[in-house]
Amino acid sequence: MSTQAAQLTHGGGIADHIHPEPQGFVRRYVFSIDHKIIGIQYIITAWVFFILAGLLAETIRTQLLNANGGFVSPETYNEVYSIHGSAMVWLVVIPMLTGGFGNLIFPLQIGARDVAFPWLNMLSFWIFPVAGLMLFSSFLMGAPTAGWTEYPPVSLQGAPGTSMWAAAIFLVGVSSTLTGINFVVTLLKMRAPGMTFTRMPLFVWGQFATAPLLMIATTALAAALAALFMERVFGVPFYDPTKGGSPVLWQHMFWFYSHPAVYIMILPAFGIISEVLPTFSRKPIFGYKLIAFSSAAIALAGFMVWAHHMFTSGLAPYLQLPFMILTFAIGVPTGIKIFSWTATLWGGKIHLTTAMLFAIGFIALFTCGGITGIFLAAVPYDLDVHGTYFVVAHFHYVLVGGSLMGIFAGMYYWFPKMSGRLLNETLGKIHFWTFFVGFNGTFLPMHWLGVEGMPRWVATYDPQFEFWNRFASVSSYVMGIAILVFFVNVVWSVRNGKKAGPNPWGGRTLEWMIPSPPHYYNFKQIPTVYGLPYDFSHPLPYKGLEDELTDTPPVAAGAH
Amino acid sequence: MVEHRAQPVRLGRGFWMVTALLAVLGAAGIVFWYVFPLEQYLPAAIVTARQVDTLFRFMAATGTALYVFVLGYLVYFALAFRVRASDPPDAIGLQIHDNPKLEFWWAIIPVLFVILLSVVSVRIWYEIMLEPENGIVVQAIGHQFDFTFRYPQINGEISDEMHLPVNVPVTLNLTSSDVIHSFWVPAMRLKNDTVPGLVTTIRFTPRLTGRYQIICTQFCGVLHSQMNKQVLVVEDKTAFNAWYRGMQIKNAHVSNALPAAGGGAISLAGGSAPAGQTLFQQKCSACHAIGPFDQRIVGPGLKGVLHDPAHPNLVNGDPATPADVAKILQTGYTGSIGTMPNATTNGLSTQDIANLVAYLETLK
Amino acid sequence: MAVASVTHAGAGEPPADRLYAETRELRLQGFLLFLISDCVLFSSFIFAYLYLRNSGQGWPPPGIKHLDVAFAAWNSVLLFGSGATMHYALENWKHGNFIKYMWMLIFTIILGAGFLGGQGYEYTHLIFGEHVSWWGSGIFGASFFTLTGMHGFHVFVGVCYLTVLLMQSAAGVYTGEKYFGITAGTLYWHFVDVIWVVLFSIFYLI
Repeated sequence: MSTQAAQLTHGGGIADHIHPEPQGFVRRYVFSIDHKIIGIQYIITAWVFFILAGLLAETIRTQLLNANGGFVSPETYNEVYSIHGSAMVWLVVIPMLTGGFGNLIFPLQIGARDVAFPWLNMLSFWIFPVAGLMLFSSFLMGAPTAGWTEYPPVSLQGAPGTSMWAAAIFLVGVSSTLTGINFVVTLLKMRAPGMTFTRMPLFVWGQFATAPLLMIATTALAAALAALFMERVFGVPFYDPTKGGSPVLWQHMFWFYSHPAVYIMILPAFGIISEVLPTFSRKPIFGYKLIAFSSAAIALAGFMVWAHHMFTSGLAPYLQLPFMILTFAIGVPTGIKIFSWTATLWGGKIHLTTAMLFAIGFIALFTCGGITGIFLAAVPYDLDVHGTYFVVAHFHYVLVGGSLMGIFAGMYYWFPKMSGRLLNETLGKIHFWTFFVGFNGTFLPMHWLGVEGMPRWVATYDPQFEFWNRFASVSSYVMGIAILVFFVNVVWSVRNGKKAGPNPWGGRTLEWMIPSPPHYYNFKQIPTVYGLPYDFSHPLPYKGLEDELTDTPPVAAGAH
Repeated sequence: MVEHRAQPVRLGRGFWMVTALLAVLGAAGIVFWYVFPLEQYLPAAIVTARQVDTLFRFMAATGTALYVFVLGYLVYFALAFRVRASDPPDAIGLQIHDNPKLEFWWAIIPVLFVILLSVVSVRIWYEIMLEPENGIVVQAIGHQFDFTFRYPQINGEISDEMHLPVNVPVTLNLTSSDVIHSFWVPAMRLKNDTVPGLVTTIRFTPRLTGRYQIICTQFCGVLHSQMNKQVLVVEDKTAFNAWYRGMQIKNAHVSNALPAAGGGAISLAGGSAPAGQTLFQQKCSACHAIGPFDQRIVGPGLKGVLHDPAHPNLVNGDPATPADVAKILQTGYTGSIGTMPNATTNGLSTQDIANLVAYLETLK
Repeated sequence: MAVASVTHAGAGEPPADRLYAETRELRLQGFLLFLISDCVLFSSFIFAYLYLRNSGQGWPPPGIKHLDVAFAAWNSVLLFGSGATMHYALENWKHGNFIKYMWMLIFTIILGAGFLGGQGYEYTHLIFGEHVSWWGSGIFGASFFTLTGMHGFHVFVGVCYLTVLLMQSAAGVYTGEKYFGITAGTLYWHFVDVIWVVLFSIFYLI
């Protein structure tokens, strides 16, 4: 151990520049420009909104225990599922995976000290809870009732909360767009020396594929929301057919964003899985290049399939076919990833930690959702089941069985890096199994409920569907218990969890080469990267990390 | 640079036994979907419903087989390659980075499958799109919160049940009077949205008599959950004709009810073209385009209806005058071109008629 | 303990300049991405306009008079002219001609403000002229005023920014080596011109 300070090794540029440590509680933890703190702020805020949106979900399931409802009024029920969906998409999954895990981890994995625009990052974060409060405040003025998709003309008729909804989502979209710009520049310009694109960890590839979507797709939604707002508040006609507008125009503008949005919600989760699997199999990810490039392909192709949400909308029939075929085609890179992940397990030395269970569970459940997605892509079948519970089943398999399971995997994997303590594995396993059983019990029956004739967006339903709705509702309470176990685990482990040390899992990406939690400056020296980290039989492909776990002070702050 | 050291890849006996088991399960899954009596749960009420069921069986069978293998290998590998208590703490797995041959096959096979699925889907899509146009034309209009149905030669709208004769092709024109609804009959395996300001069309041929639920599947307001009480009745020709005649008689009075002005000539003075334009967009554009006569949505295009001498003669062999058009708007029209509702059905006052005529006059 | 020293091209530069150079690259990329994102915003509304225009009602809708192409063309000359003056402003700065730079910047601001004045005049005529056409009166107003209004707002923000730039330049904020604010302003101003080329074509020429 040496007390000699680390040397300037990058010509005094950004990689060598360490700003002075922030002082005081407010600068360190409230208005922080540190990507790690901002990432944790995003994650905590997103979990808070998750709890709120989850309570809304349990309200939905409790209403649907009985065919004739009775738990809440139909109007309230419609508000509940509209805010549930909007909150889960825009206040939970997207912020958690991009602003949360993205901010937290990928700058570490590329060997950077922070993102390109730390102040913008802080602004992006603080917009998020404000927008979230705005969204939930719509309950006070009559929340929107037309789902998270708010199709006009019915959304033009909606209560004043619909305008608040549009403003809130617009605002959180600004946050997303700024994050996207920040991440693209960071990824293009701030990778450690030697880290070419094909030496980037796959979580970074996931963020790299997602960031342009955040930047471009979200702005398209902003336009749609602004137009809806202007029409509702100022009477400017875009969507009202009695004034020359077109309701189908909204659907084009909305889905042009919202289809890429679902890739925003899954690509970072693909990245998480691609890190967890090799670490706990003690072998490389299978088919690194295919997984990396297929993420980019999915992101690009995601812009070309939006009208598969509009097959019944009055779209010109000849347009249905290209959208159908392109949507089928996206299944190919996705399938390749699924095969590659499965093959990663073969021949491994598998440690079935909780993170690994969630990763394997992700593959099992996401694949099911992906398959039903192919069903929906086939126009003749969609003409049957569009607008029914079959669709609800599909998207919950990919968003809960997929994205949320990926988020849980990320939590169990990276919680030790951020807090210095491990989450409890026993509670973790209870969480996983309870959640897995509860989830399938809730959403599997929805496939046949839809096919048999249960439409979406209904507060009451035909009595023939009562048994499976009850089954689903009881299963959803089981899921709720699992989530409670998870939160207990988190709250308890922050103080009392086993100390993790820098690398409890034997990971090989750069974040595991520094202390847990990392110093505010991340690395004393930005390392040089010589290869992909996934080969366990080779030494780590980094140079310059010798001082990271010692007491050596970093380059003196501000010294150039 | 990272070297890719070639690793010995040996698929052991366990792997092949599991593969064989998965193949059996997969085959069982395929058989299950082809044997499962879908039509027992939901009759296939129209001809193309059976093709949709065929498509479903194909996708369900292949999807199940694929899923059996993915899930099966996932579970098997996770268990078979678990780290053992006897393994040293730094034990690593086989450092395999990729396998180009395997990756080639699992890229090509999905591509081929996608091509096959596209071909199957497109074929069935065509069969749905190319249903004959020569049968009965019916209109369904979505409202908050029911559908109403309009038939040629029956005045007014029917809102209790929709009747259709079996084995006769149907052209169903869909529109809405307020917000987007969606017209779905599960037994038909077919739906389409009803969009205000637009007419969408589906064509099908009922093949099984019966009573089938009609369900709205697009959120349309607070009582959307209740918009599922109506029924499509498919019946044989005789029963249908009897119902049809009954409806004609029942609604006969609807056409003779005149607006408050008493049925005399409508004053066209003071008609406002801009007001007429708004009204046109609201009430007429669902069926009439502003285009040449041949540009039919439901009714003929109306551009030049009062100006163009080439526009087909509309009234008694003469070109239409403004008074003629006003009369048609007032009393409706039934003839070779089709059926147009009268002013009462359309909710038009005499001032509305004057405004519409003024607007139509600007369409040169 | 010796630490391996990794050298990079340009490591001979004094560290402060290297830090500035790298930071400037980040800001430039970020600003360009912001402009791309702004393009997407305009493109979405342009799509909406073209979609509505094609929905079969005829254009302009009955009762709406045609736009005054000649007036808008002259107004556009003001805006495009300001693009040229801004280009020369930046060039003069880079070559150290401070006085010429200031004059070019002033001309840019005046021409930009002139364009805004012209837009205001056209709006007044459309809104209070013979045929009432305003923001909420139909899809013509909705698309025209929203898109040209968004553009006008961007021009207004630009004019404000350039005015601030003028004051900052007079106060010596920028140097021969560090003038990213001027570069960004020039890029933004050209962006506003490009958007106007598109809007002018789709509203006045077709």
